[in-house]
Amino acid sequence: MISFVLRRLASAVPTLFIVVTISFFLMRFAPGGPFNLERPLPPSTMENLMRTYHLDQPLWRQYLIYLSNAVTGDFGPSYIYHDNNVAQLIGKGLPYSMELGFYALILAVVGGVIAGTIAALRQNSFLDFAVMSISTVGVTVPNFVVGPVLTLIFAIMLSWLPAGGWGDGSFRFLILPMIALALPQLAVFARLTRGSMIEALHTDHIRTAKAYGLPSRVVVVTHAMRGAMLPVVSYLAPCAAALLTGSAVVETIFTIPGVGRYFVLGAINRDYTLVMGTVVLIAIFVIVFNLLVDILYGLLDPRVRHD
Amino acid sequence: MAETKDSILAVRGLTVDFSTPDGTVEAVKGIDLDVNAGETLAVVGESGSGKSQTMMGIMGLLAKNGTVSGSARYRGQELIGLPPKALNDVRGSKITMIFQEPMTSLDPLYTIGRQIAEPIVHHRGGTFKEAKKRVLELLELVGIPEPARRIDSYPHELSGGQRQRVMIAMALANEPDILIADEPTTALDVTIQAQILQLLKSLQKRFGMAIVLITHDLGIVKHFAERVAVMRRGEVVEEGRTTEIFERPKADYTKMLLAAEPSGSKAPPPGHAPIILEGRDVAVEYAIGKGLFGGSSAVFRAVDGVNLRLRQGQTIGIVGESGSGKSTLGRALLRLLPSNGSYRFGTTDISGFDRSTMRPLRRELQLVFQDPYGSLSPRLTVGEIITEGLYVHEPGLGRAERDRRAIAALKEVGLDPASRNRYPHEFSGGQRQRIAIARAMILKPRVVILDEPTSALDRSVQGQVIELLRDLQGKHGLSYIFISHDLSVVKAMSDYVIVMKNGRIIEEGETDAIFETPREPYTKTLIGAAFNV
Repeated sequence: MISFVLRRLASAVPTLFIVVTISFFLMRFAPGGPFNLERPLPPSTMENLMRTYHLDQPLWRQYLIYLSNAVTGDFGPSYIYHDNNVAQLIGKGLPYSMELGFYALILAVVGGVIAGTIAALRQNSFLDFAVMSISTVGVTVPNFVVGPVLTLIFAIMLSWLPAGGWGDGSFRFLILPMIALALPQLAVFARLTRGSMIEALHTDHIRTAKAYGLPSRVVVVTHAMRGAMLPVVSYLAPCAAALLTGSAVVETIFTIPGVGRYFVLGAINRDYTLVMGTVVLIAIFVIVFNLLVDILYGLLDPRVRHD
Repeated sequence: MAETKDSILAVRGLTVDFSTPDGTVEAVKGIDLDVNAGETLAVVGESGSGKSQTMMGIMGLLAKNGTVSGSARYRGQELIGLPPKALNDVRGSKITMIFQEPMTSLDPLYTIGRQIAEPIVHHRGGTFKEAKKRVLELLELVGIPEPARRIDSYPHELSGGQRQRVMIAMALANEPDILIADEPTTALDVTIQAQILQLLKSLQKRFGMAIVLITHDLGIVKHFAERVAVMRRGEVVEEGRTTEIFERPKADYTKMLLAAEPSGSKAPPPGHAPIILEGRDVAVEYAIGKGLFGGSSAVFRAVDGVNLRLRQGQTIGIVGESGSGKSTLGRALLRLLPSNGSYRFGTTDISGFDRSTMRPLRRELQLVFQDPYGSLSPRLTVGEIITEGLYVHEPGLGRAERDRRAIAALKEVGLDPASRNRYPHEFSGGQRQRIAIARAMILKPRVVILDEPTSALDRSVQGQVIELLRDLQGKHGLSYIFISHDLSVVKAMSDYVIVMKNGRIIEEGETDAIFETPREPYTKTLIGAAFNV
């Protein structure tokens, strides 16, 4: 088990390296640069800036500089947010994004699994139809629509909840962004759970459990659900990584000071280092959660246990 | 039928219907059956006869679109229409079941100890801890070695035979009155099959339970059951004592079933017949257990130094149990997987041939698989499937000529040429196997490797496919390698037999010699298990 974890962590190094390399060069091939503003800067200022940020060096040297700094944990200064370097920006925003993402993840998993299970047990009934329709809506309606609609109803018309901001960090402020963030994922979990539950309920060992007179609660929860959770757990990794690293749209709509906005803002402004920082952050989250999910998978399924 | 005083399960007018998009399918059409205390009743029939659905209906295990009506009284208590809670008191306790698929009938995510304990805990109360002692006794009883260690095993850590023993332990846990065994040995090797049946017999003697054996295999019925009910298309066509049925069958269908046991034999080719395919020192190895950072790597020899010589017009039967390497050997001979050894096809040395150099020879070396469901693409029409090989081997052929050959090939295997515009799912298992044979024959091969071509088919259909294969061999002078675990089919089809075990040849010789005077103990066991149960 320990050797499995160590091996996986070791294999993360080349993965990160490839991610960094590809995104570094892709970013540079995009036209424009961080200081190409609407009103051009005077040539001397531009030159100074280019020198300060090593942008006057050949591309391969810039790459090596970035790489050697990144290894020591220095992700460079942000070109746009002059007062902070990238590590500070992420360090400040990440706790907000993670807290919001964590609640959204819980809501998505618990809500999705329950809805999906109910739909599977009542296959082709009205309930099943209702759950699946709502989840189709959840997937198809983008959160830049869901967010404002929620705000309109619950903040403006009913005045039950704050319209945005972090406030004092109390849960009230999190409810609307959490729902907006969780809804599409909840829909995915509901669909995944329904599908794998229906499949699980048709397996031979469920027939065995029924043939031996086990109560239906045991048949469904102990036998069908554990097997049905396997594909759901697989989806947990990319989903957790996406939710915990923040969403540009939701954080902008609800003015949450998280890291979600940085990726989009950085990309638009050609803030190379900021984009690179968020890419590395997301990559690390994906790798860590994939590892966690694989361990969880082993706990659920003895056939893939790593020993 | 009058209810006899010994009858503990009385089935009267039982029907099972399935509603499908194409209308209602009547799987069981009002049958009467009695199970007497302590007896063994065999319910025999081919696929689609309703033999399994009868029992599933009684046990409340039908698929969602199935409905059961009529009456099934267990010791006077009506089971049909019983609410699930009340039915749960009977099933798993008084009436228990074991199933055909020992691989999938157990939950892969729980230890066998826990799964055997579940019916005990739920029917008798108590905790899993308290049930452990009983589970150990049961494992001992069904002959699982080292029960104390095995109790914490997961199903995937056991062999098929052991899993079926675990199922039997589960079935016996609450000392049932009736044990329903639905094709309990069909998925197992013959020697394991014999062991499981003997185990069931001895347990029946000890606990005095009745056994309802659902099977398609008349060989098992003859040696195992006291009474037989023959089912066909949802009806019981004949019922009586086993000896009676076998000696004086009344219904035509029963007579047909009894006659469908493979018969006949094949004469060896003349001594001067040329060797068409030869493999010397054939060996196939797989590396097992390798890790990213080293780790022990072992080599598994699936085929270990086998010599084989196939003459023009000959049929070599390769028999062996699962894992013996018989299928792997067949693929190695066709150069379909990396292997060591030297190979000749006709007068050509094909030892060093790779994919592209083999390609022109492929049309003469064809393969027919076991699974008539998995080996035909569901998205192509039958015509497209059987003519696909022509695109490779005769790319210049026009559409009309391809069509003409497809018609000829379908006619040759006894199918309606119009069927070339239909899709595989519209055909029965036997018809699909004919399609697979047509796909091989359209290329006019010289050697065909038949890998369990009849194993997934009912006996009566099996006989027809064997007839067809024999016809084609006679007509085109084909040479076959016939791979099967089914000794009676091999006996009827081949003139030379190779017995394999663990990748090696245990014994080989002319068919009559092998079957009448086997020398090796393993061959004797195999033949004994297959024909005497």
